[in-house]
Amino acid sequence: METFLTLLVGNTLTRLVFFPTFAALPLFFFGRARAQAAKVYSLVVALIEVLFGGLYLFSHLSADGSFPLVHDGALPWIASYGIKYDLAMDGISMPLVMLGILLLPVVILGSWKGIEKHWPLFGASMLLLTTGVLGTLLAYDLFLFYVYWEVMLVPMYLLIGIWGGERRIYAAVKFFLFTMAGSLLMLIAILWMAWTFKGLNGGAWSFAYTDLLRLDLPVHQQIWLFAAFALTFAIKVPMFPLHTWLPDAHVEAPTGGSVILAGILLKLGTYGFLRFAIPLFPHASEAARPLLLSLAIIGIIYGALVAWVQADMKKLVAYSSIAHLGFVMLGLIAVDAIAWQGSLLQMVNHGLSTGALFLLVGMLYDRRHTKKFDEFGGLAKVMPVFAFFLVFSSLASVGLPALNGFVGEFMILIGSFRTLGWLPVAIATFGVVLAAIYLLKMIQLTIFGPITKDENRKLTDLNGRELAALIPLCIFMIWIGVAPNTFLQPSRKALDGVLADYRGRISTPAVTQASLRAPATQVSSNTTEAGR
Amino acid sequence: MNRADWMLLLPEIVLCGGGVLVLMLDAISPALRRAFTALSLLTTIVAAWAVYYVTPGHTVTDFGATFHGLLETSPTTAAFSYVILIATGLCLLASQGYLRRERILSGEYHALLLWCATGLLLMLRATELLTVFLSLELLSLCLYSLAAYHRKLAISGEAAIKYFLMGAFVSAFVLYGIALVYGATGTTRFAEIGAALAGQPAMPVFAILGFLMLIAGFGFKMSLVPFHAWSPDTYQGAPSPFVAFLSVAPKVASALVLYRLLGAVVQGGGQVNVDRWSTVVAILSVLSMVVGNLLALVQRDLKRMLAYSGIAHMGYLLLALVTLDRTSLMPVLVYLLAYVLMNAGAFTVVAMLYSRPGEQHLISDLAGWGYRYPLLGGCLTICMLSLGGIPPTIGFLGKYVVFLKAVGDGHVGLAITGVLASLLGVFYYLRVVYYLYMKPETRQPEGLLIDVWGRTAAVAAALGTLALGIWPTGLLQWLIAATTAK
Repeated sequence: METFLTLLVGNTLTRLVFFPTFAALPLFFFGRARAQAAKVYSLVVALIEVLFGGLYLFSHLSADGSFPLVHDGALPWIASYGIKYDLAMDGISMPLVMLGILLLPVVILGSWKGIEKHWPLFGASMLLLTTGVLGTLLAYDLFLFYVYWEVMLVPMYLLIGIWGGERRIYAAVKFFLFTMAGSLLMLIAILWMAWTFKGLNGGAWSFAYTDLLRLDLPVHQQIWLFAAFALTFAIKVPMFPLHTWLPDAHVEAPTGGSVILAGILLKLGTYGFLRFAIPLFPHASEAARPLLLSLAIIGIIYGALVAWVQADMKKLVAYSSIAHLGFVMLGLIAVDAIAWQGSLLQMVNHGLSTGALFLLVGMLYDRRHTKKFDEFGGLAKVMPVFAFFLVFSSLASVGLPALNGFVGEFMILIGSFRTLGWLPVAIATFGVVLAAIYLLKMIQLTIFGPITKDENRKLTDLNGRELAALIPLCIFMIWIGVAPNTFLQPSRKALDGVLADYRGRISTPAVTQASLRAPATQVSSNTTEAGR
Repeated sequence: MNRADWMLLLPEIVLCGGGVLVLMLDAISPALRRAFTALSLLTTIVAAWAVYYVTPGHTVTDFGATFHGLLETSPTTAAFSYVILIATGLCLLASQGYLRRERILSGEYHALLLWCATGLLLMLRATELLTVFLSLELLSLCLYSLAAYHRKLAISGEAAIKYFLMGAFVSAFVLYGIALVYGATGTTRFAEIGAALAGQPAMPVFAILGFLMLIAGFGFKMSLVPFHAWSPDTYQGAPSPFVAFLSVAPKVASALVLYRLLGAVVQGGGQVNVDRWSTVVAILSVLSMVVGNLLALVQRDLKRMLAYSGIAHMGYLLLALVTLDRTSLMPVLVYLLAYVLMNAGAFTVVAMLYSRPGEQHLISDLAGWGYRYPLLGGCLTICMLSLGGIPPTIGFLGKYVVFLKAVGDGHVGLAITGVLASLLGVFYYLRVVYYLYMKPETRQPEGLLIDVWGRTAAVAAALGTLALGIWPTGLLQWLIAATTAK
């Protein structure tokens, strides 16, 4: 019988999730004076976490490059309700988990100077946030998932509210309430599903993902449950009419907060669609397709157009996130093998390129304390290295071939064309053109042309710490661009499995009475043993 | 009446005797006043042991009821008793520093508090209405006196008078309700009331009237809308550490009495009658959740905000009683325990961080103090997040069990109302957190007395809130066993 503690010390998901939390505890005793020590400590913790992540990845990656479903051994948690502490990683969650871990040291390096007060608390919030994010991605029990989902809110609220800009409190509260509004309805939906499962399962409770996946529900019930889940995730993504919290949160958040927000938090919304909303309620998601498709397309165009007219670099990048995630949603709605692979890859791509862009904007802000375009111009002359990275990240974001963004967007468009027809794809492609326009506008206004402001003549170029934050991201941008198969292969099997299951379920009409399917056999026990 | 009867009364005897002892010591040797908190705490702990001792299945006794069945002794009453004793203990810990700071430390306070606990323990063990009424009166008289305990402050007297006037009305209501129910059924025992009603085709009008009066009476003690008007004023004026007790403990016992009352009511008159009373509870619940949260939203005074939020919390709790069955008790108990820990914890911190009890306790006065007082600020933050129902705290667990019960009973609409109302709640609980950590300081601390007792109370409440939220396995198993054993 294994316990939480034995899991914690082994090469397990539990260690991956909880190491940052336990490592964060000493930070509360650092006091106000020891900011430098807190920075170094946080960085060391983050690097160890990266090491753990790499160790885990390579000890479980199959010989053919795919990533199997690995369980951590489900421990009973709230036994009275059949709630289990059950973490599992498969090809779908693996890339996002690794992205989240990779961003941790990047963010700490990027916040080195920008965060001027209460550094120990900042580091602790960042580490606790990582626990929440990884837990959300890895939870295989819906109750546990919900707990992690909510746990993320508090550190992010503190990050925006304590270290943010002028309207930080407004932005922080808005972020918190928007996210919570959706998730509370999702909680009711989860409880309802648990009751239904209990009724069909002879009175035994379970919140396990694989158990609730067996529920076959009539369409009208699916619609309501899907609506609750989809609302939660759509707020997080954010999809078009629910996006208003995002620009506020991004603009007010400190650099590190923005990077984490854009890099990984938003992906939890799209991940939620892929993992929960779509597979759990296939008939409802089929019915909701036209709506979601329109919203995704509107998001792509709207995000791009609004980004175009921004006078503030950070706002521009923030709105570009809405457009990029519209692409990801388009791929998910297409329900196609290639589109899904593209979407998953694009989630990672967006994390890398937008993360880098936010870092660069933050570095500029550290020097000049402004993010407005008209304050800059001609920076390429004084900051050539900065200019190089800005151009590089922007091109990756636009989707230049041989860089990462191209692969993801191309796959999404191809896949969508197969299932959704030419019209949505055509409009979405137009979105790519717009992306090129607004990012090139940003490049042109900031780094090219003559130097118009005297303050800009004395700016120093990027230093070693800043390069250390950017280079890992850029390496992955190139790597994904030139060898995408390395990154697609781990997820392929898992995505195909979900897709096959989905297609199997929608090929038969929905049941009229709630019933339970037989336990799926492909969730085999051999994977459990591989976990140790 | 024999020796076993008296043995079963041991917890109440211990508490009552402890109170008398403190009072006598105060008269004999005022120099001992500093030790009264410790003595009273010891009394509370011994009382907790006594509760354990007399619970069937634990030690010598196996009498289910005592004094000819007037008092029940069961695992259920034991669980409720523990919750009340936890509240008493937290209040005692929080009081020492406050009483010393305000120079009003004397034995009456501790004695009255212990007698409150006596009344509460009796009330939740009572199986018939007159005993309920007697213990209610014992409780109420002590509560009125304690609300007025800060003699030098006009606002404290005002709080007590408001509470007393309303409370006196309510006592009359309860008594009249008892008379009507007795008239309709010929008995005052819960079990027999149910049996008497079950034999009748339709519920007698007198009984309906009587029950409504009783529900109003206990709704007043639980501060449910529309019987809530006293609570914000009383909370604001009464001594803060005492509010840690007042805002939680009477609600614990009243909830159990309400459960018993409804349990008797729903036995008569068939399904129509059951639905009718469900509707009554549902209306009270929705009103409390919505009105409580909306009014809390606009409060600038922390104590008044917590008073209105308490109203909302009792609304959530009622969700578990809308469809009444044996499984109602477990969610109620979990919610009450959660409420005791987080609310008493919050008031403990309030008692320490505000030095002028006669003035408003503005939330904005806490600005920036999260850094000045990291420990207390952290405790208050945890309590606020728990009150807002954010995992992994026991406040979330409480909401989870209550909403789970409501959804399982088919009241999805009520559950959705509940979660939307709690979203409003999150907004004003977060306000406390952002004042603590995100606003610059606006005032210097002066005249504060932050002692080790108070810190212990705050840390115990916050740790309990967190620990039981993260690892509720044993707690839930124990409570399920306690509430389903008969």
